[in-house]
Amino acid sequence: MAAPAYPAWVGRWVSGQWRQRKRPPLVRPTRPLVLADKVANRRETAGDATCITEMSVMMACWKQNDFNDTACAKEIQMFYDCVARAEKERRENEDEETLSPQRNLTSSKVNKLLRRFPNITRYA
Amino acid sequence: MAAPSAAGLGRRLRAWLPRLTQVRWTRYNPSFLEPEVNKELYRKPWDELSEEEKEKQELRALQPIKAAPPSVSCSVFSDPMISKFTNMMMKNGNKVLARSLMAQTLEAIKRKQLEKYHKAPEDEKEKIECNPYIIFHQALKNCQPIIGLSNITKGGKTYQVPVPLKDNRKRFLAMKWLITECRENKHRRMLMPEKLSQELLLAFNNEGPIIKKKHVLHKMAEANRAYAHFRWW
Repeated sequence: MAAPAYPAWVGRWVSGQWRQRKRPPLVRPTRPLVLADKVANRRETAGDATCITEMSVMMACWKQNDFNDTACAKEIQMFYDCVARAEKERRENEDEETLSPQRNLTSSKVNKLLRRFPNITRYA
Repeated sequence: MAAPSAAGLGRRLRAWLPRLTQVRWTRYNPSFLEPEVNKELYRKPWDELSEEEKEKQELRALQPIKAAPPSVSCSVFSDPMISKFTNMMMKNGNKVLARSLMAQTLEAIKRKQLEKYHKAPEDEKEKIECNPYIIFHQALKNCQPIIGLSNITKGGKTYQVPVPLKDNRKRFLAMKWLITECRENKHRRMLMPEKLSQELLLAFNNEGPIIKKKHVLHKMAEANRAYAHFRWW
């Protein structure tokens, strides 16, 4: 790809013409110096696996009853309830974190926002 | 040189303000409400509605409402599960064929059940279910897996970790298994409605290859239960 075209004063500034001692350019950009429309994926504090006890209880019941669902209906219902609770808690925690001004946004939320307001790379 | 047009100027100005202007989307304004398709709600006289229902109706008189999509209908015969299944069976957009196949399947189920009903002795007649819709729903419910496996990479190795599935995913998997089973494992001359009705009746009684597939998935999840701690959500 051809070197990106910058205004002349940028070239003069980068080349060190306005400095007393000329230095070789510290970096030569190969790609255009443009911000991308997404940030890197950052792994937030990894949570724990939820509902493990209910899952193990359900699996023990399965082992006893040869994976028959009607026999283990109660354990399965408990597992579903636990999953629903954990999902609700996760949603609430997420909303809490986003609304407070101290915390930063997660990378996925930042990417969603940037997708709505992208960098305009070409114009008519 | 002609004076630059206002639109061009506006665009150039917006190019100077990256990340401050929003991309143009086609979607409804968030103030639009979903259409209410249930006829029973409109037939109730005003006095019988509860307080919150009255408030909701008053709000709907003032707020704009989205257009109802063509797949949603207020008829008593329309069923969202059946519509979803028909859409999944459809190939190359041939909805007419998919709908006719679905109708033939339900008819085949009804015929088979009626035959069983008339042949059965008096005391067993009540146990035989003749409503094809009930059979369809129960069969799908029996085919739905309870936990799934997901690939999680840890320390360079990928493990199959047992993970709870969402309702949509369960429904999708049940329907997908049913359709692939009926498409692949059938005799060349057997038609789809017949094979589907066979599979649905087997699944209704908790037998058949799809239930076996579900059990295989459960067994794998049970075997990998030690990796359940690798989840982080």
